[in-house]
Amino acid sequence: MFALRWAVAPLIVFANTPNLHAGNLVTTHKQAAPVQQTISGMVTNSSGEALPGVSIQESGTSRGTTTDNNGRYSLQVSSPNATLVFSYIGYESQNVSTAGKSTLNITLADVMNNLDELVVIGYGTQKKKLTTGASVQVKGEDIQKLSTSSVLGALQSQSPGVQIVQGSGMPGEGFKVTVRGLGTIGDSSPLYVIDGIPGGDINTLNPSDIESVDILKDAASAAIYGSRAANGVVLVTTKQGKEGKLAFNYDGYVGWQNPYKIPSLLNAKEYMSIMNEVRFNEGQAPYDWASLIPKQYEQIMDGSWNGTNWLKEIRNENALTQNHAINLNGGNEQSKFTMGYSFSNQDGILGKPVQPVFTRHNFRMNSEHVLLKNDNFNVITLGENLTYSFSKKSGIGIGNIFWNDIHNMLVGNPLLPVYNENGGFYDQASKVADGWALDGATANPLADMVYRRGQNISNNYALFANASLEIQPIQNLKFRSTFGYKMNASSYRQYTPIFTLSTTSSNPEDDVQQNQGSGHSLTFQNTLSYLWQLGEGHHFDAVVGQSIEKWGMGSDLSVTNSNSIFPGSWDNAWITNTKGVSGATTTLSGAPWGEGSLASFFGRLNYNYNETYMATLILRADGSSNFGKNHRWGYFPSVAAGWVVTNESFMQDSKDWLNFFKLRASWGQNGNQNIAGWQYLATVAFDTHNGYYFGNNKGDLQTGGYPDILPNPDITWETSEQLNIGFDSRFAGDRLGVTFDWYRKTTKDWLVAAPTLAIYGTSAPFINGGDVENKGIELGLTWNETINDFRYGISLNGAYNKNKVLRIANAEGIIHGEENVLSQGTTEMYRAQVDYPIGYFYGYQTAGIFQNTQQIEEYRNQGRGVLPTAQPGDVIFVDTNHDGAITSDDKKMIGNPHPDFTGGLNLNFGYKGFDLSVTATGAFGHQIAKSYRSFADSPLQNYTTEVFERWYGEGTSNKYPRLTMGSHTNSQYISDIYIENGDFVKIQNITFGYDLKSWFPKMPFSQARLYFTAQNVYTFTGYSGMDPEIGYGYDQSWVSGIDLGFYPSPRTYLIGLNLKF
Amino acid sequence: MKRILYITVLALGFTSCEKFLDSEDYTKKNTGNFPATVADANQMITGIYSTFSAAISNPQNTHFYASELASDDRFGGGGENDKDMQGLDHLMNTKPSRFETYWTARYQGIYRANIALANFDNITGWDSEAQKNQLRGEAHFLRALFYFELSQLFGEVPLIIDPVAENLPKAPADETYAQIAYDLQEAVNLMPAVPYTSTTSGHATKWAAEALAARVFLFYTGYYNKTSLPVANSGGTIAKDQAVSWLEDCISNSGHDLVSDFRNLWPYTNEYTAADYDYVKSNKLKWEGDGNKETVFAVKFGTSVDWGDNYQLGYSNQYLLHFGLRSNNGGEDTFPFGGGWGAGPVNSKLWNDWRQAEPTDIRRTGSILNVETDVENYIYGADSQMEETGFWQKKYIPIRAYNSEGTLVNSYAVLSDGASDDMQISHTQDLILIRFADVLLMHAELKEDATNLNRVRARVNLPAISYSLEALKKERRWELAFEGLRYFDLMRWGDAASALAAQEGVDIKNKGIDTKMKAFGGGYKARYEATGGFWPLPESQIQLSEGVMTQNAGWGTTNAEFPGW
Repeated sequence: MFALRWAVAPLIVFANTPNLHAGNLVTTHKQAAPVQQTISGMVTNSSGEALPGVSIQESGTSRGTTTDNNGRYSLQVSSPNATLVFSYIGYESQNVSTAGKSTLNITLADVMNNLDELVVIGYGTQKKKLTTGASVQVKGEDIQKLSTSSVLGALQSQSPGVQIVQGSGMPGEGFKVTVRGLGTIGDSSPLYVIDGIPGGDINTLNPSDIESVDILKDAASAAIYGSRAANGVVLVTTKQGKEGKLAFNYDGYVGWQNPYKIPSLLNAKEYMSIMNEVRFNEGQAPYDWASLIPKQYEQIMDGSWNGTNWLKEIRNENALTQNHAINLNGGNEQSKFTMGYSFSNQDGILGKPVQPVFTRHNFRMNSEHVLLKNDNFNVITLGENLTYSFSKKSGIGIGNIFWNDIHNMLVGNPLLPVYNENGGFYDQASKVADGWALDGATANPLADMVYRRGQNISNNYALFANASLEIQPIQNLKFRSTFGYKMNASSYRQYTPIFTLSTTSSNPEDDVQQNQGSGHSLTFQNTLSYLWQLGEGHHFDAVVGQSIEKWGMGSDLSVTNSNSIFPGSWDNAWITNTKGVSGATTTLSGAPWGEGSLASFFGRLNYNYNETYMATLILRADGSSNFGKNHRWGYFPSVAAGWVVTNESFMQDSKDWLNFFKLRASWGQNGNQNIAGWQYLATVAFDTHNGYYFGNNKGDLQTGGYPDILPNPDITWETSEQLNIGFDSRFAGDRLGVTFDWYRKTTKDWLVAAPTLAIYGTSAPFINGGDVENKGIELGLTWNETINDFRYGISLNGAYNKNKVLRIANAEGIIHGEENVLSQGTTEMYRAQVDYPIGYFYGYQTAGIFQNTQQIEEYRNQGRGVLPTAQPGDVIFVDTNHDGAITSDDKKMIGNPHPDFTGGLNLNFGYKGFDLSVTATGAFGHQIAKSYRSFADSPLQNYTTEVFERWYGEGTSNKYPRLTMGSHTNSQYISDIYIENGDFVKIQNITFGYDLKSWFPKMPFSQARLYFTAQNVYTFTGYSGMDPEIGYGYDQSWVSGIDLGFYPSPRTYLIGLNLKF
Repeated sequence: MKRILYITVLALGFTSCEKFLDSEDYTKKNTGNFPATVADANQMITGIYSTFSAAISNPQNTHFYASELASDDRFGGGGENDKDMQGLDHLMNTKPSRFETYWTARYQGIYRANIALANFDNITGWDSEAQKNQLRGEAHFLRALFYFELSQLFGEVPLIIDPVAENLPKAPADETYAQIAYDLQEAVNLMPAVPYTSTTSGHATKWAAEALAARVFLFYTGYYNKTSLPVANSGGTIAKDQAVSWLEDCISNSGHDLVSDFRNLWPYTNEYTAADYDYVKSNKLKWEGDGNKETVFAVKFGTSVDWGDNYQLGYSNQYLLHFGLRSNNGGEDTFPFGGGWGAGPVNSKLWNDWRQAEPTDIRRTGSILNVETDVENYIYGADSQMEETGFWQKKYIPIRAYNSEGTLVNSYAVLSDGASDDMQISHTQDLILIRFADVLLMHAELKEDATNLNRVRARVNLPAISYSLEALKKERRWELAFEGLRYFDLMRWGDAASALAAQEGVDIKNKGIDTKMKAFGGGYKARYEATGGFWPLPESQIQLSEGVMTQNAGWGTTNAEFPGW
C-alpha cells in the first residue's frame, strides 16, 4: 500500500496500520501524470511587496515549492488544469486554477485572524479553527511594532484575560502577569514555555526574537502542562528559519524619556507655614525659623532660594532608551536557520546622579536540518535553538517605606539644601556648620540614595539551548525527542561608603558586597504523534509523551565586608580590596540552590468530524520531588468540545453575513507545585538567625539547631479547575471577528503557609489551605478591511473578572497582611479573607470631616460611634456595626486592588507606504492605596500640595482632616481617605511609519520603514498619583495597588528604522 | 503488542521515576537524623537560648520591658508616637496583638526545649554523665524560665510539654507553676554542683536554677496567696524550707559573690569611657565586666547584628537603645550617656523617696542620671519626648566613649568588642536576669532574717538594720531598681494598685511643656484591679485558636486601649 523508498521501515511498531484515505491530511503516492506543464510567476502582498517563502502546492498531489526571495516561483504541474494552493502564514490562502496559463502572478491578502493559521498548543500545533480551548495568539510583529524593550510590555494591550501590570517603572523591572484572575497567594505566575521547554524566563528575550506568543488560558488547553499550568501557560516561539534567499533585517530605535506627571511638593515657604499650622493645632509655639535654620531662613526670606524640590533634583531629563536588532534568516529545504543579535538599553527617568540603567544583549541561533527525506515528507529532522542573554542593571530603592527613594524624595525636607558651598553633599557637617538645628535626624535624601542604594550593579547571564530530533517513519507518525539545557548565572556588587548625614543616619564603616550564583537545569522530553482518518470525515490527531526535568543544580555565594583600601571608590569596591574580617561587619554565605525534579507522562487526543464537530481529551501525570512519597503523583485531565455551527446545512442561508461560528466548551484541571522543597519533612535548620553568644567573647556566635517547620507529610498539589464556554465567529465577509469566553476557575488547595498557633513553637508548614474562585468573561472584537490602497484594522478586547476567596484553612479564615505599610505604627491594611477578593484593602470607612463640635455632639447623642478624642477637623470614622463606638470591629473592605474590567484597543491604518497605529489599555473598578507620606515616622516630612485641601476651619474641607502630629488617629487609622479609584485608560503607543521604498523603488532594500512613536502618550484617570498602573504590593505577589511613591513609567518619544535586505 | 509496549515503557518509567524524584536537602538535617551527637546536643541547646535574642529583636513587647515601664518607678516616655511605651506605663493596650513576637519567641523556646528533652536518649558519645545532665538541666531550666515569664506576664497560658502541635486552652496557674517547679527541681538535681566559673557565661547552672526556684516560690506564694509550690508529675510540693535551702546552697557553694563596689556592676564605669568621665575617675571605679561573679544568670549579646538580613537585631541589647536619651540628646553634651528612643523616664518620686530614706546611699546616684547635675547640657522635649522627668536610669543605657582619634563612638563596645559603630546595634551589655544581690535579698525575705540584707547594705556602706518586711521591700527597691523585678515584686506583695496609682500627679514634661502625669482608662488602680496586673494575650492567637484560648480579664474592650495623650 505504501511505496516506501527508504530503509527505516523497522521503526514502524504498528502491526496493523489503519487504512488511510486520501485527503488533505495524507498524501498518497500517485503515478506521475503523463502531461506536465511549468507554471511560474510572482507572489506579492497587497502593498506590492514580494513575498518570499510562500508555499505553493498543487492540489491533490505532492508537488510543491516555495517562492524565492524575490517572491518568484516555478512549479511543474501534473495537468494544464491544475489547482494551485498558495499559502503563507499571516495571509489568506488562495486556490487558483492554472486553466492552461503558464504565468500566474498572485497577490495574497493579509489577514489578522486567519482561521487557517496554526496556533501553538503545547507539544504541537493546531489550526486555529479547530481549537476547542481558550487561547490567544500574539504575533511577533505585533510585539515588535510597539517598540518596547520587554516582550511582556508589548503584550499588555493584546491579550484579553491576561493582566500584565508593571511591578515598577524602573528600567529592567518585571511585570506581574495574571491569567484570568489571581488564583493563589503563592506563586501566581503563569508557566513560560519557550520553544517547547517549560520553565523559561521571558524577560531574557528581546521582542525581536519572538515569532509568536500563545497564551493558554483555560484549563483544557493548559492541561497538557499539568502540574504547573494552574496559572495559565505562555508558549513562546522564537523566530524560526525560513526557506529562501538570505534575508537580513535591521530594526532599531532611539528614544527620549521623561516623566509624564510629577507631584507638586511644598516649597520652603509653604512648608514652613504648614509646619507651623501643625504646631498651632497641637498647642505648641510656632517654630523659630530664624534660629533653627539661620542661613537658609535668610535666603528664603530674601527670595533667593525656594527650598529644595527633591523629586526635581533626581530627574534625569531626556533619559535615553534604545533598541537595535539584526536578524539573518535563510535556508533551503534541507537546512534553514535564523540568527539574531539585539541590544537594548534604557536609562531611568528618576534617580540622578545614580539613575537606574538597564542593558541587555541577546544572541539567538535557531536552525533546522533535514537529514533524511523521501518524496513526500521529511523523515529525520534535527533542530536546535540557542539563545544567550546578558543583562545588567543598576537601580535605586523602590521597595517599602524604608527602602524607597521616590518616597524619600516626596517627603524630603525642602529646607535642606542638596549641596554645601564646596559642592559636596549637604551632610551632618554642613548642618552643624550652618547651625541647621530644626531636627537632628533630618538627612539629605538624595545623598542617602546615592550612598545607601545607588551604587550597585547586577549582571545576569542566561543560556538557553535545546536540540531536537524528529523522526517520521511513516507519514504522519512523528517521534520527537527534545533535550533542553538552561544555564543561569548572576552576580551582584554593591558599595556603601562612609558617611554621616545626620545624627541618626551614618555609616561609620564602608561596606562592599559581592554575590555570585550559577547553576543549570535540564529537560528531556519525548513525544509520539500521529494523524489519521477513520471512515469518512473522522480525523484524529494524537500525541503521547514523557518528560523528565531536573532543576536547581547550582549554588550561591555571598560576601559582605568593610574597610575598603579605596574608601569612597565605587570602581574599586571589590571584596579583595577590603581588609580584615570581623564578626560585626563580615558576612558570608554559600549554599546550593536546592535540587528538584519532575517526571511526567501525558497524552492528547484531538478529534474532528469534517471540521465541524471537534473534541479534545488530555491527561497528564506529573510526579514532583516537592512532595512526600505518597503524594508525589498528580493527574490532570481535561475534555473540550467544539461545534462549527456554520458548517451545518441549516446555516447556509446566513453565510453571507455569518461566515464562521464555532461554539466551544471545555473543562479541565491543572496543578501548581511551586513551593520550597522538603515541606513534608521535619527539617532542622542551622542558620545565623538562631545562634547565641556564650561567654564573654562578643564576636563568637554559636550555631544553633532548631526544627524550622512543622512537617506536613500530606502536602500536595494545588489544583485549579476551570469550566470555559465560548465562541469564535466571523461576520461580514470575514471582516469582523468576535470571540467570546465565559469561565469559572476554582483554585483549590492553595499551597500556603497559613498562620498557625504560635504555641506550636515553630513555623507553619505549607498546607493545602485555601480555595479561590475567579469568574469572568472575555470579549475580543476585530475588524479588518482593505479598500483599494487603504487598509485599516480595529481590535478591541475586554475582560471582566471577579475574584473571591472561598476557603482559608484556619479558624479566622484570614491570611493577614503586613503592618507598617503606609506608615510606621499602622495595622494591617490588606488581607486574604473568605468571601472577599485576595489582598483587598481593609480599614475604616469614613464619612467626611467633623466640621464643628455641635456635629460631634449630634453624633454622640444619636448613639453613633465617635472616638472619645474627636474634635472639629477630625475624620468621621463610620461606626459600621452600630455599637456606638469606633473599634477595630468597624473595619471593613475599603478597596479592591483587582480591576473588574481590563481592556485593550489597537487601531491600524495603512495607505500605500504609510502606516499608523494607536494602542491603548485600560483597567476599571479597582482601587489604589496611596500614601506618599508616612505620617508617624517623622512629623517633619514634606507634603504634596494636596495638603492645601486640608480642614482648617468649619467648611474648609470635608476630605482631608486638620493637621496633627503623625500619630493622631486621623492618619494612623487606615481608612478610605487613603483609597482612591484607580480607573484609567492609557494611550500606550502611537506610531506613524513610512516605507521609503515606496518613494525610492530603486533602493537596495525590500523595505526601509522610518517610524516615529510616542509611548505612554496620555492617561485618562481620576487617580491623583503619578501613575495609576501599580503592581507594587509590599513585596508580596498577591497584593498590588499600593502607591508609596511608585517609580512611574516614562513618556517616550522615539524614532526608529526597519530595514530589510 | 501496542499495549504491551506502552505498559512496559510506563512501568519502566514509573519505577525509575521514584528514584529520580527523591531529593536531599544539603543545608538542613531532619528529625530523623538529628540530634545524634554531642555536637548536635550543643546546637540544640543553643537553639533554645537563641529565642532570647528573637524576643529582644522587638524589645518593647517583652517581659523585661513591660515590668520596667509598668512599674511605679518608671514612666512610659518615648516620643509622642510611641504609644506602645506610654501604654505599658498606664496598663493599657495599643494594638491587637502587641505581645505576639514575644509570645511566639517564648513558645519557640518551649518547643525547642520540648524537642530537646524528648531526644536526649537518642544522643550518643557523651564524655560523661555530668555533661549530659548539665545540658538536660539547662533545657529544664529554660523551659521553666519561659513558662515563669509567661505566667508572670499573662497569668494563665497554654501548657505544652511535649513536642506536638496541639490547640490547648489556658492551663490553670497551679498546673503551670507545678510544671515550672518540676523543671526547676530536675534542673537543680541534674546539673553538677561545680563553681560557676567552670561553666561558660550564659549557660544556666545549678545555682541559677536554685535562685529561679526561690523567685518562682516567692511570686507564686505571694501573688496567689499560697504556702507552698506544687510539683508536677506527683513530685509533691516545694515548701519554703526547700527554697531556703536551695538559696543557701547557692550562697555557699556557687562561687558567686557581691562585687566590691555596686557601681562597678554597670558599664558607665568601663575603662574606655572612664578616661573622659570624671565621675568614674574621681570615684576610682572600674567595671567588673559582663559575666562577673555577681551575675547568676544573664542574656548574652554579641557583635554580628543586623536588621534581619543575616542576623538578628536581638543579638544586640535593644533595651539600651530604647532606654537611651532621645534624639538631640545623647551626644557630647550628655556624655557618656548615648542616644535612643527615650523610653522609661525615671519617676522623680523614686529619686525623692530614696533621698529621704537613704540620703547617703551611693546606689541612688549610681543608678539614676539626674540631667540637671550629671550632664553638661540636656535639652528637654527633644524630638517630642513625652512623660519626661529629668531622671533616667543608668543601668541599661548606651554608654559612649572616645576612640583613640578623639571621635565619640556610639558605645564603649565599639572599642572593647569591635561592635559596629551604630547607635542602634552596638550594644553588647549583658541583660542580667538573676543577680547575686537578689539571691541574698530573697534569702533574707524567706528566712525573715537580716543577715544577708545587711550584707547587701554593707557593700554600699549603709548601716546594718534589723529585719522587717518594710525594710526588705525598700532594700529591694533600691538595690534592684530598673532590673525588671519591681513590678512583679509589687504584684506579689499586693502593693501594686496603690503604688502604681501614686504615679498620678507627678510633674512631667510632654514635648518640653510642663504638665502632670495623668490617669487614663479609669486610672492605674482601676486598670490594675481589672487585669490583676496581667497583660492581654495576642488577639491573633485567640482567633487562631478558634476560641479555645480566651482573652484575659480587663482586656479587649475599648477602655483598655490607650488613646494617646
